[in-house]
Amino acid sequence: MSANYRSVFDIIGPVMIGPSSSHTAGAVAIGRAANRIFHAEPTEVVIHYYESFAQTHQGHGTDYAIISGILGFAPDDSRVPDAITIAKKRGIKVTFIEEDGDSPINHPNTAIIELRNADREVTVSGCSIGGGTIEIREIKMDGFDIKPKGPLPILLMQGQADDHHAMSAKLEKLTSINSEATYHAGDGILYEYDLENRLKNQDLDDLAKEHSKLVYL
Amino acid sequence: MYMSVKELVKDSMDKQTPISELMIQQEMAKNKASREEVWSTMERNLDVMEAAVKRGSEGNGVFSKTGLTGGEAVLLKKYREKGHTLSGDLMMEAVQNAIATNEVNASMGVVCATPTAGSTGTLPGVIFVIKKRLNLDHDQMVRFLFTAGAFGMVIANNAGIAGATGGCQAEVGSASAMGAAAAVEMAGGNAEQSAEALAMAISNLLGLVCDPVAGLVELPCVKRNAIGAGNALISADMALAGLTNKIPADEVISAMDKIGKDLPKALRETGQGGLAATPTGVNMKMRIFGKTVDVGDEN
Repeated sequence: MSANYRSVFDIIGPVMIGPSSSHTAGAVAIGRAANRIFHAEPTEVVIHYYESFAQTHQGHGTDYAIISGILGFAPDDSRVPDAITIAKKRGIKVTFIEEDGDSPINHPNTAIIELRNADREVTVSGCSIGGGTIEIREIKMDGFDIKPKGPLPILLMQGQADDHHAMSAKLEKLTSINSEATYHAGDGILYEYDLENRLKNQDLDDLAKEHSKLVYL
Repeated sequence: MYMSVKELVKDSMDKQTPISELMIQQEMAKNKASREEVWSTMERNLDVMEAAVKRGSEGNGVFSKTGLTGGEAVLLKKYREKGHTLSGDLMMEAVQNAIATNEVNASMGVVCATPTAGSTGTLPGVIFVIKKRLNLDHDQMVRFLFTAGAFGMVIANNAGIAGATGGCQAEVGSASAMGAAAAVEMAGGNAEQSAEALAMAISNLLGLVCDPVAGLVELPCVKRNAIGAGNALISADMALAGLTNKIPADEVISAMDKIGKDLPKALRETGQGGLAATPTGVNMKMRIFGKTVDVGDEN
């Protein structure tokens, strides 16, 4: 079986601003994933909540948590509770929608985030599975419809077959690849790598030097 | 990676190595981290826990924005000072520390989620009183957290720790079990006794629903951590005395998972059932958010 919780610090941790690890710290994490995928400041953010997230987001501070993630804040950043005000000051239009139906990605703590600016639009579907740990189950970006199994870490790379062979070889030295998937959009190819362990910052920097279009979640 | 309590216990017994040490080794191997890195991260988490306990018990205490919770750790502290507690000072100190931590959490203060923020007071409730009771040094307290984390990982990977999927049993129940198992190791018990303590702690809280008033991590979450801490200490004592749960720990964890799946949605962190759906609970939500509770008829 694939384990979602792979570090003792998923259980003893994270250090965070209350009140909820799934609805606050996890929401920050989903927002941060969207931030890494969009890789720019959006002009508009629309967040769709489902099930428990739809019913209790207000009480848990999910709104400011998810926005602080989109702004790139860490879960224990003291600016977390003021994130919505900060976003509005920066001219970002923010909308929250409580959806009535079941989660399209089949989890009670689901948020689907749409981010857009003049150049680009992406959609990220994430769920918060408990204790601040999240899964990303769908990403729509640059014409690709990516459906990862869920557990992080995930590395996405746009490139050609040569890049893929080079990347696989490098990743195998750093960790094990639990699964791979390939997506096509027009002439473009995107490779998804589901990794067993988190990459160290230094290793990630080295990979980014040789492969420009990387997203690490 | 240890995926069952059985594997953890067997390795600990075969190698005559405490579970805290097995956890440290697994963490180093999986994340290619040094012992120093792993150890110091856990030390920082312990510091955060200690600071939250202190903050919630100082002065008049801390209060949430809604006013639903706060200041009650301080009431317990004053009550203890009179020396007439019914369940003994150690037990009430554990309760005070648990409540102090969750009051800090509800007031949007900084906590270390163990394993979740809703259940963040349970482990501090246990660790700081057994520190006094057993004269634990700093290193032993850090080890307590590694042992608790090892058992918590097994629970999380087999049953989950989210109230929205498993109810409060998955949060406070898991935290209580982690605390019980780790307390046994600190008191000199072996891994089998830790597993029994875990099994008893979860069994005692099976079926506990997640029914937060107004969807807030306040009522009844704060005081449920008092029960989590008390249950952990009682279960640890039972295991150290040689009592056994008869149903093995891994089967108990699996039962918790199945019960969580059987719980109706209204009792899984939607704020639509249980205490949240009482007239008083509904009024509180109206006052805070100006919204009625949709109690609905579907699960």
